[in-house]
This record gives sequence, C-alpha cells and structure tokens, in this order.
Amino acid sequence: MRLTTFFSATACAAALLSGCPAPAPRASLPPRPAPTSSGGATAPPPAPPMPNPPSVNAPPRAPAPQRENHLSPATRSLVTQAHTLMAHGDLDGASSTLDRALRIEPNNPLLWVERGRLRLAENDAHQAEGCGRKALALASGDHAAQNQALRLLADALRAQQRNQEAHDVESQLGR
Amino acid sequence: MKRAPTRRSKRRPWRKLALVAVVVLALAVGIVAFWVAHLDRVVTREFQGRHWSVPARVYAAPLELYVGAPVSADDLDQELRRLHYHSGDPATPGGYRRSADAFDVHTRRVRFIDELREPELVSIRADGNAITALKMGGTDLPVFRLDPPIIGSVSPIHGEDRLILSPTDVPPLLRAGMKLIEDRRFDEHPGVDVLGILRASWANLRARRVVQGGSTLTQQLVKNYFLSDEQTAARKATEAVMALRLEAHFSKEEILVAYLNEVYLGQDGARAIHGFGLGSEYYFARPLAELEPGDLALLIGLVKGPSYYDPRRHPDRARARRNLVLQEFAEAHLIDPAVAQRAAAAPLNLRPPGGSYVPAYLDLVRRHLKRDYAEADLAAAGLSVYTSLDPRAQAAAEHALSAHLKRLDAAGRRRGANLEGAVIVAEPNSGDVVAVVGGREFATDGFNRALDARRPIGSLVKPAVYLTALETGRYNAATLIDDSAIEIKLGDGSVWTPQNFEHVFNGPVPVARALAESLNAATVRLGLDVGLPKVAETLQHLGLETPPTLNPSLLLGTVEMTPLEVVEVYTALANGGFRARLRAVHAVLDEQGRPLKSFKVQLEEAAPPAAVYQLDRMLTLVTTHGTGRGVATRLPRGLIVAGKTGTSSDTRDSWFAGFTESYLSVVWVGYDDNQVTGLTGAVGALPVWADTIAALKSTSFQPVPPDGIDDRWIAFADGRETTPACSADAVLVAVPANTVLPAMSACNVAPGAPAGAPLAAGAKIPAGTKAAAGARASGTGPVATATKTSVGDKFKTWLKNIVH
Repeated sequence: MRLTTFFSATACAAALLSGCPAPAPRASLPPRPAPTSSGGATAPPPAPPMPNPPSVNAPPRAPAPQRENHLSPATRSLVTQAHTLMAHGDLDGASSTLDRALRIEPNNPLLWVERGRLRLAENDAHQAEGCGRKALALASGDHAAQNQALRLLADALRAQQRNQEAHDVESQLGR
Repeated sequence: MKRAPTRRSKRRPWRKLALVAVVVLALAVGIVAFWVAHLDRVVTREFQGRHWSVPARVYAAPLELYVGAPVSADDLDQELRRLHYHSGDPATPGGYRRSADAFDVHTRRVRFIDELREPELVSIRADGNAITALKMGGTDLPVFRLDPPIIGSVSPIHGEDRLILSPTDVPPLLRAGMKLIEDRRFDEHPGVDVLGILRASWANLRARRVVQGGSTLTQQLVKNYFLSDEQTAARKATEAVMALRLEAHFSKEEILVAYLNEVYLGQDGARAIHGFGLGSEYYFARPLAELEPGDLALLIGLVKGPSYYDPRRHPDRARARRNLVLQEFAEAHLIDPAVAQRAAAAPLNLRPPGGSYVPAYLDLVRRHLKRDYAEADLAAAGLSVYTSLDPRAQAAAEHALSAHLKRLDAAGRRRGANLEGAVIVAEPNSGDVVAVVGGREFATDGFNRALDARRPIGSLVKPAVYLTALETGRYNAATLIDDSAIEIKLGDGSVWTPQNFEHVFNGPVPVARALAESLNAATVRLGLDVGLPKVAETLQHLGLETPPTLNPSLLLGTVEMTPLEVVEVYTALANGGFRARLRAVHAVLDEQGRPLKSFKVQLEEAAPPAAVYQLDRMLTLVTTHGTGRGVATRLPRGLIVAGKTGTSSDTRDSWFAGFTESYLSVVWVGYDDNQVTGLTGAVGALPVWADTIAALKSTSFQPVPPDGIDDRWIAFADGRETTPACSADAVLVAVPANTVLPAMSACNVAPGAPAGAPLAAGAKIPAGTKAAAGARASGTGPVATATKTSVGDKFKTWLKNIVH
C-alpha cells in the first residue's frame, strides 16, 4: 500500500501534468486473477461498454485557464511561525503549527509543499513524497505552485535514492 | 525429701507458662511490629508516589479565530461560555465582555501542544456569519486560538475518572465544610479519633443500629485508597494502623487534598466520578472555583451516600441533605445565615444531563493510545492528551442522531424496540476524526456502534466499483451500460438475479446515472466487466484491511464494515485519491508539557487523482439527481456535497456517506438485533447526515480539476451530449479531454464544448479557504470574491443554481 509502489514518479507526474486519466499500475497487491477463476461464480461474458449512437468529435481543448494560489494572512503568519520553530530545531512544534494552517486552508498546495519540506527535514522522505504529490494535484492550473510541488517531489525522490525518477520529475519543471 | 520435688514440680509449670507467655508476647510484639512496619512502608511508598489512578486529561481541538473564520458572534459567545469564561469583566484572566458584536476577552494561561501561552487581552469582532476583526493591543492579529476545551480523561483503570486538584485549587469553604461535616476533630486527632469512636459507639448502642460513623477522613482515605469495603475487625485494625502511619508521615493539608481527590461522588454509566474536581464538572459543568456555597454543600452532602443522595435520581433527598449541610455551615459561622437561607431556597442548579461527556470519542482516543503507547507510559501522572475533537461537530452529530432516531421510532416502524445509530465526522485532508457518536444514548458508556458495529454496507460499496471502471480508461461518466435483468450462475450452482430497488430495469443508462440512482443490475454488469478481483483490490487500496470474499454480491455491498472503516475507505474519495490515516490523538504531553509523542498526518496515494475527480463529480450528482437528493431540503442553499446512500438487504442497515470541502461524515442507522428497519439509506441515515453537515457551516465540495479533464453536458437519462437549452435533464459531468461523446441529434451541440464560458477574471482568492467561503457567505471580509476561471467553475455555477 505504500505510495512508492503504486506509481513510478514519472508516470504519476506525467499523468497529472498531461491530464492523462489512465491509472498507473499498482504493484503492491498480488497479480489480479481472472474474474471468473476465483470469484465462485460464472459471470456472463464481460459486456463491453454499449455501442454508442452517432457521435461528434470533441473539439480541440482551449488552453487550461490559469489560477494562482497564495496564502491568507492567517496561514501566512502560521507558516512564518513554523519556519521560526524549524530554525530553532523544534520540528514537532513546526508540524503542529502547519497543521493549524492546513486546517484553515486544507486545499492550498503551497501549504502541502510546506508540510512536505518539513517532512524532509524530519528525514521522512516517503511522507514528503506524498505531500509533494498532493500539492501537485492541488496545483493544477498554477504553474508557480506546480513548480514548487515538483521541486519538493524531486527532492523527496532523491532522498530515497530514486535519482532517475527525480530527474524525470525535474524535467517537467517550468513547462 | 519427697515434698521438695513436688514443690519444684509445682513451681516449674508456672515458670514454663510464664516463659511461654513471654515468648508468645515477644513473638506477637514482633509480628505486630513487623506488620506495622510493613503497613508503614506501604503507606509511605504508595502515598509518596501518589500512584493512585490519575487519568490523563484529554483536550479537544482549540477553536481557531481569524478574519473570515466561520464563527458568528453568538457562536463565539457560546464557545467562551463552554470554556467557563465569565461574562462581564475582562479585568482578570477568564473574563470577557461582549457589547453587541465586539468582544474583549482576557484569556487564561493555557498550554497548547506547541506553546505555553500567558494571559492576553484580545479584541474580537464578529458578525452574524464570521469573524470580522481580531486585535491585540490595537494591532491586527492574523490568527488566534481559544483554549482547548477539556473533554474528559482516560485512565489505565477503565471506569475510574477524576480531575486532580492541587492545594491551591481547593476553595476555603470546601476545606472547612468538609471537616465540619465529616470529621470535626480532623485537625486534632492523630489519624484515629478515639473520642469520636466512643461517641459513635454510644450513639449506635442507644439507637440499636448504626447511626454514626467514627471513621476520620484519614481512615476513609486509607479505606478508599488501600483497602476493600469488607467490614471485619482485621480490616478495621489495618485501617486504623495505616491511618496513624499516614498521619505520622504526611501533613494534614496533604491528607485533606488527597481525600478531596479520592472520594467517590457518583456514577455515570460505567464511569465512576471521583474527587471534587470532576464532581464539580459532572454535576454543575463549572470549575470548582466558580461554585456557590449551595453547590459546595450539595457535593459535600453527597459524600455520605452518592447513590442515596443522587441529585438527578432523588432531587428531594439531595435538596434536604444540601440544606442540612448549609444549616451546619451557618451554625459554624462558615457562611452568613442569610447566604445559607438564600442558597437553601435556590434550585439544585445542576447542568442538563449529557452534553459534555463524549464516551464514544474517548473510546477511540483510548484505542489509539493503546495502539501507539505502552500501558506503563500512560500510567504516569499528569499527562495531557490533545485530540482532534471539535465539540461543535460532536454536538451537531449527537443532536442530529438523537432527534432523527426519536422521529423515526415515533413513526412506529417497530414496537418495543428502539432504532440505534452511529455518526463519525472526519477531516479527510488530515485524517482528523472530529466527532464520534456511538449510539442514541451518546453521553453514556456502552456499545460503541461507530467503532464496533460491523454491518453490510450495501450501496456504499458502489463508488469503488465505478472508480475501478474509470481507472481502466474504458469507461467515463457518459459511457452507456446496460441496466436490464441479469442472471449469474454462482459457484454452488445456484442462480443470482440481482434486482433494482424499484424493481424496474432501465435499459442502457450512462455510468453517471447508474451510480446516482444506485442501479443494481447496471452496477453488477459493470463490476463483472472490470472484474471482481480488481474491485476488491480498489477497496483494499482505499483502506479496507481484510480482503473481501470474491462473490458477485460484493458488488452490491455484502461486505461488512464498521462506520469507522467506511470513513477510512471514503477518506481517499473525499481527498482527491489520497488516503490519510485516521487520527484522534495529535500529541501527548507529560506533566511538564514536554511532548512524549506526536502523531503526524500520514498520507498515502490510494487511487489516481484524475479518476477520483471524475468519480467525485458523479457523487455530487447523487445528491442532486439521485438517491441522495433528499439532502437538498436540509442543507444551506447552494452547498455542493458529494455522497452515497447505502441500504443492506431487506433494509436492515441504512447508511449515508458523504463529504463537503473539509468534512467527511458517515452515518449508520439500524437495530442492534439486526431486524428489518424498513428504512433506506435515504430515509434513515441521510437526514442525520444532512443535519450534521448543515450545522458545521462547511463549504462546498469543489475539488481542483486535474489537467486533462473537461466538463461536458450530457442528458442524464441517456448520456448523449447536449446543452442545458436543449435538454431539461442536462447534467455537467467530468470526462477525460477529447472524449468522443454521442450527440443528441436534435441539439446543436456547439463545437464549443468543453462546457464552460470564461468568467470575468478577477482578484485572486486563496484556493478553497474557509475564510474565502465565509467571506462569500457573508458578503464581507477581506478577500475579494471572484477567482480564476477553470473548468470546474462552470460546474460549480451550474450546480449551485440547481441545488435546492
């Protein structure tokens, strides 16, 4: 169930950034048996999606509109406070302070980047990677936030000696 | 010559006897000395270390205040009163003054997980919806938190509960009154009061029954602390010796305060109320320092017989006893006779039953502590446990559950049996559990259905089936699937023919409608096409720990789960595919405020975010066009929510699971004996869910659309691409970009799809903040409205227009 086994960073980052909805392979569970072999049941032959009536092709997509995330005064002050605590080596205190900020703005990718940076400082690269991916998902449409999330993700991967994946993630930077 | 030996022999037995007597006496003295020394050691060791059961104090999450926080002036007032701040004068810590919507609050010295904050004077303004200004010393304050409310205690010895008082916490009237009523010669006797015993014996002899006790406070303390309740001479002797030794080693002050902390004052279900600290909270919901003479008299009077004088069960006895104590107070000049008279005329002043005690939540705290701590760590005195409990969410969930269960019972579904239920509220982003209600008797210890009732989840399983389908890339919200009768031959040779709830089949329907209307035949087809093992795998990735049995009925939710497990599985759906480990405890601090351990947010990616986004958008259709549309009448207008109803076979279990931007809640309703309720998820659990969510002032569920996903209009009935102008049942769904959709022939579906005309670009807004939402709701606040344009915005606008 570990995140690292779900996806290669390349596949995930590429999927998130390119918008490809295809799922990445999951390697942590055993290979999936055929539906009828272990299900205790004989199902009718798999029904493919039903034939569709005459269709129109979707038009080319308009360029994705841009958004920009920033911190509110409340969360900005908490992030500043967390930085001070980190600088004094109080990582638990910094973590609690960032928790407060995320309770106020749970979907702000910049705060998830902050939490990921703290996890890296705590030598928890695996959780830092999770924060990076969460930040990346929330940063859709915000290039600046995406870049911050990608940098965090690359650092988290590198901290796990997954250098090639880190390199692939970095190649997405600035696009 | 013959007599002499006789004389000697006569003398010898006497001597022998004397010798034996001396030896026996010496032995007895030795044994007694050894016994006394042993008792002395026990008393000293145990009492010195104060190793009596001192539970850890448990705190709820503090209320965060910032400009835009969805806290109205009345909410703030209520919160301050909940924290026992006294209204009127902010001159000293613990006081506040409200004038209209402006508050001056003098906070107390308070410890948080990450800081010890000294008293401060804060000015707060709030309107009918949100905080509008926050200042300290004339300077704007970006964020400020109130005290974390204390919600109870967890003890290594389950059932024994107390709040420890230090000598300075003991009001003088309690000190003097306790001695007056229970042990007048406390300050003079050495632990045992011989005069008192003689007086009591004489009184009992004359009355020919026990009318007086001769035990001192010290003896009572010894009995409660070290000994059993048995009435034997040996026990009495031990008690007396230990009392004498206790007095030899410890001061009167130490003994009195220990007694006030130890004494048993009542029973709340399985919880024994010990000590005046907790007694004050339990009976009056106020700290001891704020009690009136009449309240103290009631508590002191209770010591004689907490059950006999129980003020809730026997208010007349309790009042008579209180008034007798008040009279003695006045006679001993502890209080003015006029004060005693006034107090005697006053009602008992008890807090309403229930409310503050949250046994189901404390149960979760206890289990998480047990999971993460050694029991020995928790036995240390003075620990503080900081949790995620949100008292407002807890109260909302308790109220919603009890009100609806009463209503449903009154509707007379089943005579002689009461419906039961459970509610859990969590914050999916962090995994923080903010409320747990374990049954309709929510303030009493008992079977915790939220954690322990394992029931079939019915259609709550369907999102996992549809997520699996979306992940294959072969299905999207508009793909048609066949909702017609289906027969499945099972491994044992029998044939399974799943029915739709309405017993009507609909033919080809789009995926979004099949999920929204919870169509069984279509779902079974879909699930079998993607494969049972894959669906099971999805469930496990989402957090189901035990692999489910791979039977086709899994697709309709025969898998059994507790409400807590459902919350775990739905967390990832409510959090863009990221599963957060559920967390009730944030940190445990020792007596000096040093963290023993803290629990951080643990996040795992459980499902691809793009597939989860598409699924979540379909789950919002459940609440606008599907089986969950009943939420509309109960939620604030315009609030977008995602959710799913669930009903197990024959309506034995009624479920609803759903989420907003920051809250996920799961509700179960059913009978403990698993009888048929006649309630679908929409009729039983949904109203409880909706009322809980409505009270939380949450903001709309508006996930950030991933790149590569478009909004498209389709006809809800048949899935063909359309426009709102062309089809009355047009719904907006999220599908992968460049998806080819069948068009409704009569409609001129513009090549302008994806849907969504740009809105006017405006000022920026912090993404998805409660502040922003509060500002939008109130029309005020520091953050400008309008935001960037995105594919999701069109959806939000549309959905806001159609919901409610």
